[in-house]
Amino acid sequence: MNTLLEVKNLKVRYGNIEALHGISFDVKEGEIVTLIGANGAGKSTTLMSICRLPPPEAPRVTEGDILYKGQSLLNMPPHKVVSDLDMALVPEGRRIFGNLTVEENLKLATYARTDGHEAIHRDYERVYQLFPRLAERKKQRSESLSGGEQQMLALGRAIMTKCGFLMLDEPSMGLAPLLMYDMFRTLRELNQSGLTILLIEQNANLALRFAHRGYVLDTGEIVAHGTSEELLADPEVKKAYLGG
Amino acid sequence: MQKHVATIAIFAGIILLVLCAQFHILDQYYISVLMFMGVNVILASSLNLVNGYMGEFSCGHGGFMCVGAYVSSICTVLMFSKNHILGAPLLPPQFAFIGFPLALVAGSAASSVAGLVVAIPSFKTRGDYLAIITLAANYIVISAINNMEIIGGPRGFMGMSATERAMQSMLDIPWVLIFVLLGTVFTVWLLRRFVSSTLGKGVPAICQDEIAAEIMSVDTNRMKLIAFMLSSGLAGLAGGLYAQVLGYVNPQSFDIMRSTEVMVMVYLGGMGSLSGAAIAAILYTVLMEALRFLDVWKWVVIPLLLILLMQFRPEGIMGNKELSDLFPKLRKYYSFK
Repeated sequence: MNTLLEVKNLKVRYGNIEALHGISFDVKEGEIVTLIGANGAGKSTTLMSICRLPPPEAPRVTEGDILYKGQSLLNMPPHKVVSDLDMALVPEGRRIFGNLTVEENLKLATYARTDGHEAIHRDYERVYQLFPRLAERKKQRSESLSGGEQQMLALGRAIMTKCGFLMLDEPSMGLAPLLMYDMFRTLRELNQSGLTILLIEQNANLALRFAHRGYVLDTGEIVAHGTSEELLADPEVKKAYLGG
Repeated sequence: MQKHVATIAIFAGIILLVLCAQFHILDQYYISVLMFMGVNVILASSLNLVNGYMGEFSCGHGGFMCVGAYVSSICTVLMFSKNHILGAPLLPPQFAFIGFPLALVAGSAASSVAGLVVAIPSFKTRGDYLAIITLAANYIVISAINNMEIIGGPRGFMGMSATERAMQSMLDIPWVLIFVLLGTVFTVWLLRRFVSSTLGKGVPAICQDEIAAEIMSVDTNRMKLIAFMLSSGLAGLAGGLYAQVLGYVNPQSFDIMRSTEVMVMVYLGGMGSLSGAAIAAILYTVLMEALRFLDVWKWVVIPLLLILLMQFRPEGIMGNKELSDLFPKLRKYYSFK
């Protein structure tokens, strides 16, 4: 399997505070990899650094490199990361465009696509097939959707940007357990049809049951990694993140 | 066929108005009010792109209008009239039909460039800071022109009516009215097409959440640039038409008062509603004329009306809905393609 994403010795600062003290991990093609850890461990910072997102207090990469298919992402603006590479991000808190309709949200995601009407049309079909609820609510303003439907839209929107590598930041946040399982079932289906997934999750139990491999992040450092089975069986991880 | 009803109705309306003007059914006063209405619709709907759809706060629209007005006036005067500084007309009057629209395009292009100059430093700022930048730009434009003796400075610039005379010497119909009406229809059509396109969806996306727009592959800097240039370019078109309607321009008529007026129209109509901006522009022009008998008291009544509106309907006349949202049946009768 080819390595898709490779993070090498990444150090990231917010102002004077170093948030990541040199983390390294990789994601191979076709895998589901999860980064787990407590609040403030640096999970979201890692994702933001990969996508080059400018939060109010911009995280600054001081050392290390992020490679996607061998190409460094460090000097790419976020919209290029999405449009030129086949990466997509479902951000924390979904961040859908409430003032646009469901259909317009999906349409916006095709903004920079150049692969023609047919391919875009196929992806619409695919999203509506995965989430029939979205098809029913096409013309509704997306702020009127329920939390679960908004999460579906956020995921659908990421698919519409034509992605082969999907990053998810806390997709389970604020979802009822049943919806959450639905969501993960859909993600697994997508993975089986060739999508590589990097999942960031606080709910370690759920994440490890879903992913192939995992990394445990603690205050800016990777403290454990291995296959999901290994991590689930690891007494340290069990004690700290899985509740005994 | 049904889809074209609105298009046919609009052009029938234009022909009707032109006929009314041609055979003096409407007197000159009503015609000029009509033309100001058109100019105001262009101004309000173009500012609405930035202040409404994009959620920025630009308050220097008058400055862009001024650039367009002066550049296109200078072009027409250069081409078709005798001026003691710019010399004899360069082109014979037969070319006025081509020359005038070209002058309008030149004016719009110049104000787009002015918009570009303002847009670049505005990338890093939003809200109050952008307001200050645009306000400053408005002042810079006005004082630059005030100090340019060659185009009249504070006394203003005139001679544009020669273009109209040139066009009328070929065919005696109300040309300026026709151009104003066509310009208005063009602006509304262009903006409607723009905001409903995939590219244009980037504008409300920036308004809602800039970071989310970035991860949806929208190049937000480029999008802001496009929206700003489109908006200021159309303001320049409005300026060029305004100059031709009056036959005279002076820098004072494009100062902060003008920018405020346009902003009032946008907020009156509802932010992010094209039909709202158009309706508000028409209503505002009518109100200004209808309350003329009140004299100075007009400036007590109109602000009072605004305060009442903001109290009881803060989202403006249309909110962020279009006419077609309120009356879905209308959709059958138009298409913007």
